[in-house]
Amino acid sequence: MKRFGRTLLTLSLLGAMAGGAQADDKVLRVYNWSDYIAPDTLKKFEAETGIHVTYDVFDSNETLEARLLAGKSGYDIVVPSNSFLAKQIKAGVYQPLDKSKLPNWKNLNPVLLKNASASDPDNAHAFPYMWGSIGIGYNPEKVRQTLGTDAPLNSWELLFKPENAEKLKACGISFLDSPTEMLPAALHYLGFPVNSQDKQQIAQAQDVFMKIRPSVAYFHSSKYISDLANGNICVAVGYSGDVLQARARAEEANNGVKIDYSIPKEGAGSFYDMVAIPRDASNVDNAYAFMNFLMRPDIIAEVTNSVGYSNANAAATPLVDEAIRNDPASYPPQEVLATLYAIPDQPITVQRLMTRGWTKVKLGK
Amino acid sequence: MSTFNQALIRVLPSGRKLVIGIPFLWLFLFFMLPFFLVMKISFSEAAVSIPPYSQIYSFVDQKLQVLLNLGNYSLLGADELYISAYLGSLKIALLSTLMCLVIGFPMAYAISKARKEAQNVLLLLIMMPTWTAILIRVYAWMGILSNNGLLNAFLMWSGLTSSPIEILNTNTAVYIGVVYAYLPFMVLPLYANLVKHDQSLLEAASDLGSSNFNNFWKITVPLAKNGIIAGCMLVFIPVVGEFVIPELLGGPETLMIGRVLWQEFFNNRDWPVASALAVVMLAILIIPILLFNRSQAKEMEARA
Amino acid sequence: MKRFSFSTLMLVLGLLFIYLPMLILVIYSFNASKLVTVWGGWSLKWYLGLLDNTQLMGSVARSLEIACYTAVAAVALGTLAAFVLTRVTRFKGRTLFGGLVTAPLVMPEVITGLSLLLLFVAMAQMIGWPQERGLMTIWIAHTTFCAAYVAVVVSARLRELDLSIEEAAMDLGARPFKVFFLITIPMIAPSLAAGGMMSFALSLDDLVLASFVSGPGSTTLPMEVFSAVRLGVKPEINAVASLILLAVSLVTFLVWYFSRKAEANRKRAIQEAMEQTASETWQAQPKQPQRTPATA
Repeated sequence: MKRFGRTLLTLSLLGAMAGGAQADDKVLRVYNWSDYIAPDTLKKFEAETGIHVTYDVFDSNETLEARLLAGKSGYDIVVPSNSFLAKQIKAGVYQPLDKSKLPNWKNLNPVLLKNASASDPDNAHAFPYMWGSIGIGYNPEKVRQTLGTDAPLNSWELLFKPENAEKLKACGISFLDSPTEMLPAALHYLGFPVNSQDKQQIAQAQDVFMKIRPSVAYFHSSKYISDLANGNICVAVGYSGDVLQARARAEEANNGVKIDYSIPKEGAGSFYDMVAIPRDASNVDNAYAFMNFLMRPDIIAEVTNSVGYSNANAAATPLVDEAIRNDPASYPPQEVLATLYAIPDQPITVQRLMTRGWTKVKLGK
Repeated sequence: MSTFNQALIRVLPSGRKLVIGIPFLWLFLFFMLPFFLVMKISFSEAAVSIPPYSQIYSFVDQKLQVLLNLGNYSLLGADELYISAYLGSLKIALLSTLMCLVIGFPMAYAISKARKEAQNVLLLLIMMPTWTAILIRVYAWMGILSNNGLLNAFLMWSGLTSSPIEILNTNTAVYIGVVYAYLPFMVLPLYANLVKHDQSLLEAASDLGSSNFNNFWKITVPLAKNGIIAGCMLVFIPVVGEFVIPELLGGPETLMIGRVLWQEFFNNRDWPVASALAVVMLAILIIPILLFNRSQAKEMEARA
Repeated sequence: MKRFSFSTLMLVLGLLFIYLPMLILVIYSFNASKLVTVWGGWSLKWYLGLLDNTQLMGSVARSLEIACYTAVAAVALGTLAAFVLTRVTRFKGRTLFGGLVTAPLVMPEVITGLSLLLLFVAMAQMIGWPQERGLMTIWIAHTTFCAAYVAVVVSARLRELDLSIEEAAMDLGARPFKVFFLITIPMIAPSLAAGGMMSFALSLDDLVLASFVSGPGSTTLPMEVFSAVRLGVKPEINAVASLILLAVSLVTFLVWYFSRKAEANRKRAIQEAMEQTASETWQAQPKQPQRTPATA
């Protein structure tokens, strides 16, 4: 009992000390995705500005959102994906940006900014940090073996046509476990608007998946990376950056598996990870300094080179590694960019419908 | 005793009040209050705001209006997903508890029979892996159970099977994972109980001609009743609401209420429905526990 | 004896079952290649990399610290609660208390975490504490959760204790607190130790509660691991796990060594005491009736 009392006393003293320490002005609290920054970005920032960065990481938008929506997250910079950002803006989570404090804004790619503005009207609250597409990662050799040399590698038909899916079943197919990202792909394939709120249309999109459900190995948002690299599956719908990671791994393992990535010609979803400042941030000026820092071509090019995802900074493109810059998976040509749609966010009732329908698809009934 | 001590004792609440008061206060502040918050949320509606649910009371014109939304609870009853998920969780929890009991009881028994120094070492050996985060160990299992993981590699090399057995992402993997994670929680309470058994009872029974087998079932097991109940409670109850293990090891057909709750909360952003689900889950499980506590209390009073 | 060999067999098999994945983990932490499927040869580079990885090591230190405090607080709180549940005969709100104690076990972690988070936010708004969520808040959440486990284990033991010993002590004039510390605690010591070890493990393992109630700069090990395993477990994680295992094995070895020494010392002391009294009896004149000395 005595020990308990002493411990409590010590802890409250520590708590008080920790509380006092935050009076320091030169701090910045960043909450970003894991493995999403170059090893020396923060060091460079600290060296140039003297601001000490507390850098925490998360692995899913949902975790970030729960913290933000509960209030007082304590962070000054957060990096949500665009569809989540849209909802959070409506809930009043972020403060509008004062563009006069961000002189490097001009470096950003206007086409991508326009796409992202679907979630953030007028790009008022955030700028895109990294972006990617949601397309098809595949093992070209195996697919051609199974479906023949004229397999529709650059079309959603490769997976959504039941005959194709059946043949590929032995080889292994996987989809992302995310109704918000997968159902729009089916909607788009059927010719419906991706942010459709029509129950019938959503049901039809669900049906597309139901028909091919018996041929799908699993629904998972990250397992496919190692499985593609190992040869366990041969076609996966996944994030561009992750499929490229799988490719790099297969090369490293030297196991004869080659991976390719294609953005289907009908169009694919694109996600933008946006950098924003919460309304209750305590170090706003430091946050602006960091944002401006991230918009520098040299800094952001280094991040791309180290994490493999493409950035939304037009001025940085010449500084990016040739291998990445010339890869149509990371830097698609203009025509392909035009076919991409941003992942939409839906009102709660539609969201519930989609999630429930997706559970039915996964259960196979 | 010094006069200071005596004065202090007069001022402080009596020992009995302190003993009841401290845990009660703590639990009230850090469990009861949060639970009231959850109940409040379960009666509200999801909204796009911080926090993402509507207020249930408003004080306008000197009128206090309380708006209780019962829609969340009726949604739970209407959709069979929740009921099947709950039943699925109960089934998995029951089977895992039984498996832990069958495996854990002999283990605890063996430890309680070992030499004194060995006992401490064995206990630490059992607990040590739990001190490396469960996630790391679950990932190790994923590596073992996957199609080109170690288990399948071993089975094919030894010729027992010709093609990989699909274990990962099925219910079997979930059982393995749950038993693996919760076995220490069954062994420890059982050990704490078994180690205090009076050996002379067993000796007396043997002297009177009873076999070891008989001793075990007629003496040891009934005496260990409280330990068994404690161990089963500590495995069954948390497994019902378990999320991480089925998420990583289970497949799409693994329907557990923990995952459904997670989905409601995170994917649907429907905090009110998730809260209603939690309240219902709590109600369902807490009532048998309360009745059990009551019967135990009556038994204690009868003995005194 | 038949029972022994079966249970010893189960013990051995059980330990093998528990340690197989750990062994694989340790072996792979020496794998030079970062892919799980490829064996790249033996290498210490992941361990060396840990020295630089202040983020990961910081979270390990934090987790261990919180776990220690939690174990202490949870055992104290849980034992008090168990005592109330089993010994205090009648008081108002007894059923409510019983429910309160076991409810954290029943409540799904997501909801416990969320509700505590909302509570802390509301408290910060109303009374200004806790201004920053961090170690303190995680400790509170873990203690509340683990105390339920301790209470279940300890109350199971308290229920079957023979009350007559405690009553005898009190009849002889000992005050309740003294009885508690000198008599009850030694009798329930294994349950306390079990509860403490479980609380330590639960606190180290916990992901969901910590994700909700932690603040900036206070990530714990499970949070760090979970956020990094998107691409498969990084070898540094394996290295950390192996280090933790090594540290605990060392502690286990020390415990075993010292208890062996203590046991040997005890036996020696008894032996000496017996020889001493034996020689005294031999030397002393048999004038007074000798009482046999009490042996320890």
